[in-house]
Amino acid sequence: MMQWLPEDVSPYGGSIDALFYFIYYITAAAFILVTALMIIFLYQYRRDDSRRAVYTHGHTGLELVWTIIPALVFIGLGLASKSIWEEVKLNVPETDVEIRVTGKQFNWEVLYPGPDKEFETDDDYQVDNDIHVPVGKPVRVFLGSKDVIHSLFMPNLRFKQDMLPGRQIEAWFQANKAGTYEVPCAELCGFGHSGMKGTLYVDTPEDYAAWYDKRWPPAETNGGDASAAETTEEVLAGGAVMDAETMPEPEAEPAATEEEAESAMEGAADSAAQEATE
Amino acid sequence: MSEAGAAAAHDAHAEHHELGFIRTYIFSTDHKMIGRQFMFASILMLIVGGLLAMMMRWELAWPETAVPFTSWISEPFMYPADEDSTVGAVEGLSEFVDPFPGANFAKSLGSVGGAHMDPAFYNSVFTMHATIMIFFVVMPFMVGGFGNFLIPLMIGAGDMAFPILNMLSFWTAVPATIMIVYSFFVEGGAAAGGWTMYATLSADPTLSGVDTGADLWVISLLILGVSSLMGAINYITTVVNMRAPGMTWFRMPLVIWSLFVTAILLLLALPVLTAALGMLLFDRTMGTSFFMPGGGGEPILWQHLFWFFGHPEVYILVLPAMGVTSDILSTFSRKPIFGYKAMAFSMIALAFLSWIVWGHHMFVSGMNPVLGTAFMLTTMVIAVPSAIKTFNWLGTLWGGNIRFTSPMLFALGFVSNFVIGGLSGIYMASTPVDIFIHDTYFIVAHFHYVVAGIIFGMFAALYYWFPKIFGRMMNETLGKVHFALTYIFFNCAFFPMHFLGVAGHMRRIYNPLQYEFLHDIQWWNVFITMSAFCLGLSQLIFFVNFIWSLIAGKKADKNPWEANTLEWTAPSPPGHGNFETTPTVYRGPYEYSSPLVKEDWLPQDRKLGPEVVTASQ
Amino acid sequence: MPRGSALAAGLPASQLSTHETPEALVAVPGYGGGPPPPSIPQPPVSNARMGMLMLIGAETMFFAGLIGAYVVFRFGSPVWPSGHLYLPVGITWVNTGFLLFSCYTMWKAMRCIKADQQQPFVRWLAITVLLGSIFLGVQGFEWVQLVHDGLTISAGMYGATFYTLIGCHGLHVLAAVLWLGIVLLQARRGKFSQQRAIGVEICSMYWYYVGAVWVVLFPLVYLN
Repeated sequence: MMQWLPEDVSPYGGSIDALFYFIYYITAAAFILVTALMIIFLYQYRRDDSRRAVYTHGHTGLELVWTIIPALVFIGLGLASKSIWEEVKLNVPETDVEIRVTGKQFNWEVLYPGPDKEFETDDDYQVDNDIHVPVGKPVRVFLGSKDVIHSLFMPNLRFKQDMLPGRQIEAWFQANKAGTYEVPCAELCGFGHSGMKGTLYVDTPEDYAAWYDKRWPPAETNGGDASAAETTEEVLAGGAVMDAETMPEPEAEPAATEEEAESAMEGAADSAAQEATE
Repeated sequence: MSEAGAAAAHDAHAEHHELGFIRTYIFSTDHKMIGRQFMFASILMLIVGGLLAMMMRWELAWPETAVPFTSWISEPFMYPADEDSTVGAVEGLSEFVDPFPGANFAKSLGSVGGAHMDPAFYNSVFTMHATIMIFFVVMPFMVGGFGNFLIPLMIGAGDMAFPILNMLSFWTAVPATIMIVYSFFVEGGAAAGGWTMYATLSADPTLSGVDTGADLWVISLLILGVSSLMGAINYITTVVNMRAPGMTWFRMPLVIWSLFVTAILLLLALPVLTAALGMLLFDRTMGTSFFMPGGGGEPILWQHLFWFFGHPEVYILVLPAMGVTSDILSTFSRKPIFGYKAMAFSMIALAFLSWIVWGHHMFVSGMNPVLGTAFMLTTMVIAVPSAIKTFNWLGTLWGGNIRFTSPMLFALGFVSNFVIGGLSGIYMASTPVDIFIHDTYFIVAHFHYVVAGIIFGMFAALYYWFPKIFGRMMNETLGKVHFALTYIFFNCAFFPMHFLGVAGHMRRIYNPLQYEFLHDIQWWNVFITMSAFCLGLSQLIFFVNFIWSLIAGKKADKNPWEANTLEWTAPSPPGHGNFETTPTVYRGPYEYSSPLVKEDWLPQDRKLGPEVVTASQ
Repeated sequence: MPRGSALAAGLPASQLSTHETPEALVAVPGYGGGPPPPSIPQPPVSNARMGMLMLIGAETMFFAGLIGAYVVFRFGSPVWPSGHLYLPVGITWVNTGFLLFSCYTMWKAMRCIKADQQQPFVRWLAITVLLGSIFLGVQGFEWVQLVHDGLTISAGMYGATFYTLIGCHGLHVLAAVLWLGIVLLQARRGKFSQQRAIGVEICSMYWYYVGAVWVVLFPLVYLN
């Protein structure tokens, strides 16, 4: 069973896997104990009309034992989980690699901020299903969604985070081994949910630099104008990679605009509601 | 029993007039008939839900091949198979299918009336499988069926507190059931958002492509909520007010405790779902945006409301099976239940704690990580009462004189599966581990061990009380064969799902071969599917046994299992008003192998004279 | 039978279950010639009352769900227009008065039937029905005005929460008025008396409850 945990290439995956094994040993021991006792009792105390069953209504001491021992085990597990959870969720390392991944039916829309490290500027690069990150560096990722709830799942990174429409969630990951990894969607998102996946390219420093320089040639740092031709190249090279512009608009868009139009009449109330989602 | 109750029971007896067919079998106010109606309805729905599961399993084992016997389903859902689309035709599939025994059989079967499943229809299928199994099989069978049948009989009452309300409860559930089945046949098909119906996918018809079907889903559950509310009010009132003289709280059988606690959960949890469903329906039909961020709504609010209902719901499903198991283990171990009060209090504890653990379904939903820790800790706490119950069941077996009847075997099967389901729950309770296994087959394995494991409790209850319900015995040999096959194939079908989950296999995907990292483990999917088919086929034994026993089973005595509780003092099946005379209760329900009497059982209503004590010296 | 006999019967006290202690055996009739089983007295809360209490419990959870959602939206929004901006708070104050006064008249009606005063009982009931109907009428009029002014259920979160919460309450008042109307008809035919007042009583419980919900909703939705 164990060898099927996908290969872990993340900094904290080791802790998660260790906790998994820890729980595995505890539950396996509990399972064996209970099952063995059950089988022994079933055999030992099978029907025998020459004797009577033991007439007892319980044993407070024993019951206390099997209340307190599981309680202690669970508290221990809780504490162990808490520290690893905080390591994963709360101790976000400093980094200068940032990307934005937005789910939409049924693709990941990946946005790179470009050399100016700012999103929504001219040198941004947007592509579908194609995540390039450097190996061994923490990556801050901003997750959102255009329509329904998706969940970005990177099994090898022990990473999974739902993406909510109308909200941006900040998370981080780090891949310590170069290679390509599949990035499926883990939350039911509609008829195309199955098969919604992207590719995570964990590049060696050289490969990453090559990819980066190709995207943003060092000569023209603000080369937003050059990107059109290169996008085509990227499409051809990447095979399955689709350009964002060629994608059909998600179906949610017209509905949302309609609602906005409708609700525009509701002046103050509406603008308040709109702001709430930002 | 209250004087009023006693008088009612007496009246019912004194009247003796024959009710017509309609009043007896259709619009009956007799709790036993209503219980039977619920049971039959839910067994019918069990067949529907089971067949949906079979379609799903076929799709997962041999993705995008023709599913046999489905060509009758119309076009947007199933597409006609062409010549070369049977198993193995899809490129790269043969290598996974061929090495496995049964592949050839499957290949030839795919050509028998086979058709291709549309991915959107697959979503409908698993959504409806879960909805039907939870709301239209387990709940009506255990709570509606056995709750109705057992509560008055086991507490010594003539009927429910509100017989007409009881009838209405069933007849409100009927349109809900018809509506949920009918939703398959409307344009766009049935709801396809998963049984959890997460917004925004569920809140805007254009996002899922399902329009009327999902509206019907919502309305059906709203109606079912009303039905459950009526049932819950009835059960609680009956248990509180209608107990026979001497039936104190701590002389009630644990199955009554479990149904009582379940009714309280139903009463308080379902209205929250009703509120959420109402808002969802408004979003879908009236243009509000409670769950649509475009209009200021909050998709995650749906999850909070849904799981605030949803976690108590899990205990609504499992508690009655726990109660049934406790009763049956004690009866056939010929031994008092180990730690009666601990069992009762652990059920109450489960009920209380189930209100504060809902967030453990949402660790990766984007909820504040600090809240995640809090919910993890409460979840760890709720595991303790479950552990107590398991060990007390073991304690009950210890030193017993165990009779391996079919109900006993199913009850043991329930315990064994509950142990696995409970232990696998610990993985998810741990927030960091849940990051990885959330929304994978590990979860699917876990909740099938718990919720589908309830089917063992259902069968245990049915085999045990069948003589009381229908006045005839079920065939023991067939029952044991049914148990053995069900137990083996259940575990073969659901245990390997843990392995899939550990490998990262997502749930709710219709073609695992779209993902390269799942190719190596696809043969487990084939294995699971074969086991699931065998599990389904094994149930034919049950249906044969059930129908045959109904018609020609051996006539049952009053007390075929030599059990203590009050229902066994009434005739099999009990007539109108249940008891010839209102029983008086002298002791707890589990006085087996008591030293006071020669036999190894001592019914709750048996009066002991001093001479009995002398004789037992 | 005295406590000693059970022990004399060769049973160590520890073997006797907690469910069948020697004391319990003594109380059991026929066992040692004790008194007849203490028949459980009339339950402290009758079936009908208990059923109504549980319905109220369930309704509370229902409104808790809706109010919870309202609070999330209300306090999650940086700007939320005050009720005075859209809603006719003045009229609703008066309307609240009607509903609360109807709870008082309901209480008076209950007092009268408990004292077996049929005529005033029917009169107070009729006044209650009238007040309830006025409340509904004013609400309906208010809604027509609001929709006319552009506040519809689909016009943003403000309208959605307003109509859902107030509408659900309105439906409950409507149900209560209809029920009370039936009770009033029965009362006029003299169906209720000092001893047989349960039908009115559970209806009055529901009536008070509907009023109580309004006391929560009115400040929450209108006055902020």
